[in-house]
Amino acid sequence: MKLKQVLFLIGQVILAGIFIVAGYAKIREPWPQFALSLYSFKLLPESSLEPIARTLPWCELALGIAILSGILLRWSALIASVLLTVFFAVLIRSYAMGLEVDCGCFGSGETSLGPLRLAEEAAMLALAVAVTVAAFRGYGFRSRTLESHA
Amino acid sequence: MRPILFLLPALALFAQTHKAASPAAANFKVAGSPTAPLTLEVYADYECPHCMHFYQDVVPLVIDQYVKTGKVRLVHRDFPLQGHQYARIAAKYANAAGQLGMYDVVVNQIFKTQGEWSQNGNIDGEVAKVVPPGTMQKIRELVKSDTHLDDTVNADMAQGTSDRLNQTPTLVIVNNKTGNRQKIDGPLPFGILKSYLDQLLAKG
Repeated sequence: MKLKQVLFLIGQVILAGIFIVAGYAKIREPWPQFALSLYSFKLLPESSLEPIARTLPWCELALGIAILSGILLRWSALIASVLLTVFFAVLIRSYAMGLEVDCGCFGSGETSLGPLRLAEEAAMLALAVAVTVAAFRGYGFRSRTLESHA
Repeated sequence: MRPILFLLPALALFAQTHKAASPAAANFKVAGSPTAPLTLEVYADYECPHCMHFYQDVVPLVIDQYVKTGKVRLVHRDFPLQGHQYARIAAKYANAAGQLGMYDVVVNQIFKTQGEWSQNGNIDGEVAKVVPPGTMQKIRELVKSDTHLDDTVNADMAQGTSDRLNQTPTLVIVNNKTGNRQKIDGPLPFGILKSYLDQLLAKG
């Protein structure tokens, strides 16, 4: 196994872990907790908070499992990158507006939004982009064996 | 080599609930039917701005739509935060008023005038505006000399520690049939709270 493949595998597992932990942490709390986090961003209409709060954590969990298993890795990694881009943009906006938000990214009780939190989010986004690029270049085993023939 | 699909943590643990007998709050801190299927415990700090908004915007709607209809029992729990120098004395005034049958009036006044007394500490002056002079004198005496006035505050804080509180307001929704306690941190807007209470009530 080449070094690139090992690094890709590590990145894949970490990215999957991030989504699994984020989804699981939200699912184990009552859904209004995440709805309240979404509400604090002052971005979405109140009527949309419940459906998003109830479904997004399950999507994150499913996405994490998909990335970990390597099934349709290119596309799951791409979706993860898009999601993290959206999250990052929302956090940047909230920080710029000086909003007092509880990100709720990994459940309740997180530290307030600041440069450190933004740096963490940027690192996760960079990881997702790297895994996506690597997957499209064929470093993933499933990427080569399954998706390239699709 | 294919990435190994790790065994996920036990997904059966989705609902973070726990059952625990909670200390009874003083009667004046409780509103609603004792047979209500749900209890909504609100941990609040009188000096916390989010608590003020929650009490002014959300609690009246909860009382109208859920407490008066017998669906929910409402319990106020004191959780004065350390950084708020007047929060504990405000709780003393409220609880002294509660012993004299004027809890709701004084709680509303304390929250309504939070902007003033949180600056100058003059809770007494703000409470005196809504309480008859004779009752106010009794409140002052209780605040000054009743050594048990802090008992419910201490009991609420102990329960809050057990509920792993880290901010106010915090809501704990108790299923009175099963004893399950579900904690929600933060000032939940009424629309979300209503939707969740309706779901829990529908489940029975």
